[in-house]
Amino acid sequence: MRRFYGVLAGAGAMLLAGLSSAQAATEIEFWHAMSGALGERVEELVKKFNDSQTEYVVKAIGKGTYDEVLNGTIAAYRAKRQPEIVQSNERSFLTMVNSGAIVPTSELMAQQGHPIDASQFIAPVVSYYAIDGKLQAMPFNSSTPILFYNRDHFKAAGFDKPGATWQELEPQLDAIKAKGVSKCAMVLPGDYEWSFLENYSAVNDIPYATKRNGMDGLDTSYVFNKGKLVGQVERMKRLVSSGVMQLAGQGIIPIQLFTSGECSTIIASTASHAAVVAAAKFDWSAAELPYEQGVTPKNSVIGGAALWTLKGHTPEKYKAVAAFYDFLAKTDTQVWWHQATGYVPVTTAAYEAAKAQGYYQKNPTREIAVVQLMRGTPSDNSLGFRIGNSNQINVAIMEEVSAAFLGKKPVQQALDDAVARGNESLRRYEQLNAGKK
Amino acid sequence: MPARNNTAALPVAAGGGGLRLRQPLRRLFLKSAGDAQSESGLKRAHFQEWRLPFWLLAPQLFILLLFFFIPSIRALIQAFQLTDPFGATTQWVGFQNFERLFRSSVYWSSAQVTLIFTIAQNVLTLSIALLLAFASNHILRGRGAYRTVLLLPYAVAPAIAGIMLAFLFNPRVGPVAHMLQGLGLDWDPNRNSWHALSLIVMAASWKHICYNYIFLVAALLSVPQSILESAYLDGAGPVQRFLRISLPMITPTLFFLIVINFVYGLFETFAIVDATTRGGPAGATSILVYKVYQDGFVTLDLGSSAAQSVVLMALALLLTFAQFRFVERRVNYSV
Repeated sequence: MRRFYGVLAGAGAMLLAGLSSAQAATEIEFWHAMSGALGERVEELVKKFNDSQTEYVVKAIGKGTYDEVLNGTIAAYRAKRQPEIVQSNERSFLTMVNSGAIVPTSELMAQQGHPIDASQFIAPVVSYYAIDGKLQAMPFNSSTPILFYNRDHFKAAGFDKPGATWQELEPQLDAIKAKGVSKCAMVLPGDYEWSFLENYSAVNDIPYATKRNGMDGLDTSYVFNKGKLVGQVERMKRLVSSGVMQLAGQGIIPIQLFTSGECSTIIASTASHAAVVAAAKFDWSAAELPYEQGVTPKNSVIGGAALWTLKGHTPEKYKAVAAFYDFLAKTDTQVWWHQATGYVPVTTAAYEAAKAQGYYQKNPTREIAVVQLMRGTPSDNSLGFRIGNSNQINVAIMEEVSAAFLGKKPVQQALDDAVARGNESLRRYEQLNAGKK
Repeated sequence: MPARNNTAALPVAAGGGGLRLRQPLRRLFLKSAGDAQSESGLKRAHFQEWRLPFWLLAPQLFILLLFFFIPSIRALIQAFQLTDPFGATTQWVGFQNFERLFRSSVYWSSAQVTLIFTIAQNVLTLSIALLLAFASNHILRGRGAYRTVLLLPYAVAPAIAGIMLAFLFNPRVGPVAHMLQGLGLDWDPNRNSWHALSLIVMAASWKHICYNYIFLVAALLSVPQSILESAYLDGAGPVQRFLRISLPMITPTLFFLIVINFVYGLFETFAIVDATTRGGPAGATSILVYKVYQDGFVTLDLGSSAAQSVVLMALALLLTFAQFRFVERRVNYSV
């Protein structure tokens, strides 16, 4: 019954909102997954746009986590009540592209007279969100993992800074624990599949899946159960079982264990800058992702999300969407967003502008992610990931890898099982989407 | 959508045979079941014509249709399909979803976890509730206050209870966890499946003890004083009176609670699991109903999720049947 009243109340509110805005500007809805400080930044961003002109009003609505936003969007789309714009994470790329529910951003912008040139965006973003040079979604909040560390802890253990390679970093972490500087030398992030596995394979230039990690077709298969990646998971397992690396578990988020000074390091998205700046009461800094000794590290890959335009709206609404995207791509907007949130600037011009301001001299850690994303020439292994059923496979892989941490199975078997489960999902995706990209 | 509505509605069917039901939905089911059994009393005297009962039932039937029958049928259909989350592409795949399910070792381990979880939760809940009911029955001063305090957890939303417990028992920051570690127990539900499982058993029981407690207190009150007094005169102590007299006389309530606890453990504990452990570590607390949610709403594997909810629905029907067939028949209602 409560649900029933909720629906009634919602319908009433919609009716009122509809009446009041009938003769005013064109209003569009933007569903996002940013909460806390980042949610406030989104509100500010939207306000900037709304204040900058009088024709359009964007209404930003936080709908929970990325999963919840996607679920809400699916339910809304099926009920034909979808918003105009929805923020969806990088992992859902193929789900969105093949949903039949979206208007590709390039197409939309061309139709509305704001043609958008994909090459104005930084390369790792374009390779993720464009198919044949055509942007499918509007790049919005892009990040990449970096290593945050507690400089006080490193000094106390007798180190200047974390080593660049795993071979240098590991003994440092062990020492921090052994010398009693901190009981938790590193905390495992919740999205370690992204930061410790996918990005590890990109940076160290090893294949994660065939067909250039899915870029060349849906008939891709996982191959991460051999070579260096097995070693990486063995390393993680050793760190976890010796207590050097701790798991945050439920009830607390990993980054809080870093900002509270409990754990000495964390490999987390550069967007964690917002949380670290706000909460860390010690001398902290950040560094690039560690890599394997003897390897020339490649670029890391992006995470975060992009904005998708949904089908089924009137041309006036799409005009408003295009105007909003146009505003987002502006250098000023990008520079502000980058500095306010910690996400990377998605256009080259914004990066140059921030540099010209001397921003990175004052905030050196803010540049790490950009530099790391753009270093070297991307190889087939570091272009990005284009994986169907990615949310599903992500859960399966993490389940298997954590079974290895728990000692339920040997690492090799856990990875074999992860690959088998992943490939089963991939084949199912291929079966359903036969003939698509 | 279908999967979630479906599981939320399942307890209605399974618990329908019980006696004291709160929701209108449940009352409906009970009433119709009762109608089939007897033609006497109230019904015959007041409702000789079909229209009034029909209109009285209609709103509830409508809600049942909306939130139970339509979602269930859609889940049933979806269980035989492979579909894109947005509904762009749909393929009929026959029993492929079920085959995949029963072939999957993950599903069987989830079933195993569910079995352990529901039994442990049932035993723990019932025994603590029984202990509390027995104890508070013997307190004269402030009995009302004790009862109120004991009932409070029922008012706490499952998600909040879950998060609170997750925090209290978090091995890094939780005060209770630090206490356990101080006692020499290497408490870590993030790395030890048994610790995680016991955590959700505790969370689920803590939420449900109150429910059991109300029924047990009421049942204990209905035990005739005369019998208890004569036992007292014969020299039986309070424990003996409880074990020999009260307990056998409240078996109907006990059986009812066991069934309700099973239904609760099987279908209503999803929020607690989601808030406490999210099914982890490594699927150690991923009970069947949580898997329905996770596969349907997190990983968007709608076909598998629907197939799982169909299996759960069958299980609920089986439980209801078993309750009517075996339990109700053996329990002595003549108190």
